[in-house]
Amino acid sequence: MDQLLSGQLLFAALVTGSFYAIVALGLNLIYGTLRLLNVAHGDLVMIGAYTAFWLLSLVGLPPVFALPVAAGLCGAFGWLVYRGLLRKLLSNPQLAQRVEANSLILFYGLSVILQNAAALAFTASARGYRYLDEVHHLGAVAMTGNRLLLLGVAVGLCLAFWLFLRFHLFGWGLRAIIERREAARVVGVNVDRVQAITVCAGFAIAGLAGVLVSMTEQITPFMGFPFTITAFVVIILGGLGNVTAGIAAGLILGFVETYGMALTSASFRSVLIYGLFVGALLLRPQGLFGKAVRGA
Amino acid sequence: MSGLFSMTRRSLLAAAALLAVAGTAQAAEPVRIGFSMAKTGLFAQAAPSQMNAYELWRDQVNAAGGLDVAGEKRPVEFVVYDDQSNPANAVRIYEKLITQDKVDLLFAPWGTPFHLAIAPVLERYKFPVVGNTAASVQLRNVKPGYIWFTTSAIPDQMGPALAKLAKQSGVKTAAVLTNALPFSQEVKSFLLPALEKEGIEVVVREDYPPDIKDMTAILSSVKQAAPDAVLALTYPADSFLFANQAKELGIAAPFVFSLIGPTIAAYQQVLGASANNIVTEAHWSPHQSDWPKAKPFYDAYVAKFNEAPDALDSVLPYMSAEILQQAVAKVGLDREKLRNEIASDTFETINGPVKFDGVQNVVTPTAYVQIQDGEIQLIWPDSIKTADFRPKTSW
Repeated sequence: MDQLLSGQLLFAALVTGSFYAIVALGLNLIYGTLRLLNVAHGDLVMIGAYTAFWLLSLVGLPPVFALPVAAGLCGAFGWLVYRGLLRKLLSNPQLAQRVEANSLILFYGLSVILQNAAALAFTASARGYRYLDEVHHLGAVAMTGNRLLLLGVAVGLCLAFWLFLRFHLFGWGLRAIIERREAARVVGVNVDRVQAITVCAGFAIAGLAGVLVSMTEQITPFMGFPFTITAFVVIILGGLGNVTAGIAAGLILGFVETYGMALTSASFRSVLIYGLFVGALLLRPQGLFGKAVRGA
Repeated sequence: MSGLFSMTRRSLLAAAALLAVAGTAQAAEPVRIGFSMAKTGLFAQAAPSQMNAYELWRDQVNAAGGLDVAGEKRPVEFVVYDDQSNPANAVRIYEKLITQDKVDLLFAPWGTPFHLAIAPVLERYKFPVVGNTAASVQLRNVKPGYIWFTTSAIPDQMGPALAKLAKQSGVKTAAVLTNALPFSQEVKSFLLPALEKEGIEVVVREDYPPDIKDMTAILSSVKQAAPDAVLALTYPADSFLFANQAKELGIAAPFVFSLIGPTIAAYQQVLGASANNIVTEAHWSPHQSDWPKAKPFYDAYVAKFNEAPDALDSVLPYMSAEILQQAVAKVGLDREKLRNEIASDTFETINGPVKFDGVQNVVTPTAYVQIQDGEIQLIWPDSIKTADFRPKTSW
């Protein structure tokens, strides 16, 4: 019981949950606005992780400064992918009909290419580095510097996004496209521009998440896939395309996982995560926070 | 048009190359060694330690004039295919290597399931392979004949040995944390009875899934129970998580064991001095002066790859290559002769002498190592140890 009420467990749940939230955030933006199933999402996390590793090992740049670099790099890659591959898929009405299925294949190919290009370029050896690994104490709670940084950046990012979607004109446009795509176009939202920026932002956030995770985990070309799965679980839980609900769902998943394991046993991790997932799908197929589509 | 041109040019070049080869008097035909490698997929990150060891061995042999085939020196060439971390692919690849590529020798793939999968193929084609990175009691069920297992890290020996080492190091209570994957579970099944036999009380016992992302809950209960030893039966991915979070929570147990992970080069890169005095599984150290080849191997590996060899996944493949090399020097490439030679002789390796009985290495003892000041030191058993156990006093 002591353990359940301890700040240590709360800290762990917050770190896990906020990380899930930002991993899912990028995927959700892209799915919500473009209906594209980006199964290469985790591989962008991998690219972010390698960016941090190489910047530190080759030029000695501290990973906290790798955050903007990785975001920029992945964002630029997103722009290339949008201009080179996605735009055509979305602008052709016939292709746009099957965009979800087609994008699945497209991104699966991209994922295979990214993984194997990384394996070829960097070898598959696990990499790692030490950064901010000193332990800080806040009362009875012990916190490693890098996990504290992860928590700070993740919470900041989620908050910034929430505010942006709520109060910024571009955020309104984005939400308009998510909710009523054609109507958004009619009222003058520049759909192409919003889409391009969304893909860039989605990729960039994945890169950021990669930098953060590289501080505590080993880096390999094949590390990305589990993040893709987690991100899908989170966004389906929250309701596809519902960005703020996705953030909440990430946090909920982190809490259920951490406290669930403390209450039962670590061997129940998958049961807890997928139990919540399946339960939510059965009871609220539109997602925990989603609105049921009327008259569809 | 340009395609045609380049083709003519290429064949001209090839012809010129052929002439050049013919001109340098009968250059020895290369010995082709085939194997599959998990270049992609689940086990890909384990493959480089093994591939590096094979490549180092090949380059050393070629630099010394080639592989001694019963008196004749011939250069070594590899024929490698990616098995995509799938044992079924490895089976097809070894069939292809034997029947279509007609390689002269075979090296082993990575990991227990792959060794078990190719054993029947080797049996069918009567092709001997010295295994390396496989460890399981299941190996004993493999029909002896064409495959041998170099490691001494077999769970039914490891469990009792770890319990004895712990007792000798003053451990009276222990926490046992076990990954749900097969090797960890196998070790646990032999470790728990052994701990009981040594009178060590298990105060925390937890299994966890391989994809665990946070161990705070488990480690908090370990911290509360404050055992003398934390025996974490880890795989590489969770070994990093375990050490990071044990450090965060300030686990104070003087005996900290992590099954697989600490011998990987990245482990010390991530953990630095926190990795010091962690005990792990391996039966090799570059500091064992009774094994004269150990330190030169270490130095050559570091010089070539700029990181320390993995005490398991690099050392075992290199040992298997040495065994094959010595057998080929004696009896040449005839498979039946090779098989009899490997099955009966004693070989000098970087891990000391190796001799097989059935499928098993019966010379190398089951051993444990500890990271001390960033170096791998053997701390068990007494017969080969290079340093005494040091209690873990800080992270």
